[in-house]
Amino acid sequence: MYNLMMKDFKIGIQPWVLIMPLLAGALMLIPGWFYFIVLLYFFWISIPNMFNEFKTQNDLMFTMMLSVTKKDMVKARVMVIAILEVLHIVIAMLFGLLTLHLYPNVENFFFAPYMGFWGLCFIMFGIFNILFFPMHYKTAYKYGKGYTIALIAVMLYVGIIQWVGIQNSIVFNIFTGTGADNMVLQLSILIIGIAVFIVLTMIGCNISIKRFKKVDIS
Amino acid sequence: MIALEVKDLNKKYEDFSLQDVSFQLEQGYIMGFIGANGAGKTTTIKSILNMLHLESGEVHIMGKNMREHEFELKQDIGFAFGDIDFYSRSKIKTLTNVLKKFYINWDEKTYYNYMDKFKLNEEKKVIDLSTGMKVKYNLALALSHGAKILILDEPTSGLDPVARDELLDIFQELVEDGDISILFSTHITSDLEKCADFITFIKDGKIIKSSEKEDFVASYRLLNGNEDQLNEVKEKMISYKINSFGFTGLIHSSDFDTSLGINATTPSLEEIMVYFAREESLNV
Repeated sequence: MYNLMMKDFKIGIQPWVLIMPLLAGALMLIPGWFYFIVLLYFFWISIPNMFNEFKTQNDLMFTMMLSVTKKDMVKARVMVIAILEVLHIVIAMLFGLLTLHLYPNVENFFFAPYMGFWGLCFIMFGIFNILFFPMHYKTAYKYGKGYTIALIAVMLYVGIIQWVGIQNSIVFNIFTGTGADNMVLQLSILIIGIAVFIVLTMIGCNISIKRFKKVDIS
Repeated sequence: MIALEVKDLNKKYEDFSLQDVSFQLEQGYIMGFIGANGAGKTTTIKSILNMLHLESGEVHIMGKNMREHEFELKQDIGFAFGDIDFYSRSKIKTLTNVLKKFYINWDEKTYYNYMDKFKLNEEKKVIDLSTGMKVKYNLALALSHGAKILILDEPTSGLDPVARDELLDIFQELVEDGDISILFSTHITSDLEKCADFITFIKDGKIIKSSEKEDFVASYRLLNGNEDQLNEVKEKMISYKINSFGFTGLIHSSDFDTSLGINATTPSLEEIMVYFAREESLNV
């Protein structure tokens, strides 16, 4: 599986995709912004480009001919995307810390980049993974439908949760107001977010493996 | 030893199906897998490589079930798909560096020997290779990881006669030691007249015959005669063409009565394929 992941990083994915976490992450420096957008760029730009590239390069046929199993093919691909997602979050988090330090007195209308917010972001990636991968692995090369549905779900999640965060003072306080200084609370939300991300991604991966085993490679 | 055994493969598509496809390839031989376009050659090859979800059937390589030992057996198999490009904008060097990691028995020395022998330049991009060069590159990869079975789908299609001849010589050289076996599909039957030991003929998803090349050819007779003679054998013929001199047609040797005095010759593989293709139009 390690070799399959390295294959994706060396020839499957274009180098700019690996720079995207930095480029998108730097947008965290905009004070008081709608920070979900920073991570949404991964869905808007990187995902469709990567999967289009896999399709164009006949990656599926190429990989099938290597000494690998179908199960490992799915696991490796999900892992590669998950690594990129974590990379996006971690780099954005670092820029987020810088933002909090640079503009301590900015008034945040949207969620401020505290740990709780990143927990919500992990959940967002989990939602994408559980929806996108199982739909993609019905054919293992088509990605349009799965991508669109997963993207809509992610944007609805972001929209609703941010709307609640603005409308509901309790939620606002937890993520941006007084609760932001509560380390235990913030860390708990982050850990829950990471756990949800892992569980949803694993479920998505397992469903994908089952589906991919039935796929005819053409 | 049986290098490759294909048993009762069945695969249904909406407009096509593989039906009870079975054949065996002995170690150290070349088997030509022939059939018209759309007969099921690539579908069979994909089934062998575990790429398709089959209704039923089994593939054994070196005595082991492919479905159960996919990872292990793929170490022993080399592939070349003549008409499909992968990562064509990558340099050969980059591609090889990625690929070799997948194989336990990768031998760098063998790889560079074959790269030299086939006059392949590692700095070139896949897209800059000619069709023949691509097949040679695939062969170099397969041989460097110690593949014992080479499965080649239409490796000679799209090659000029010189490149084809060169490639066929390479195939023959490879099986000389008796270690490597080759299954190669083609619709260019003249390639097989030259180098195949066994022939498997597929038509409309069914294996018509799989046997040694000499036996294969000897089991059919090409008849030439006048219209009166045609009436005597018409019912038993696989198919025939009527021309101004009479008829030409194909018959199973077992159905042919030599006492009829009809002029009979040994058909070429191409003639066998062509007359089998006409069988359908006669039955319509």
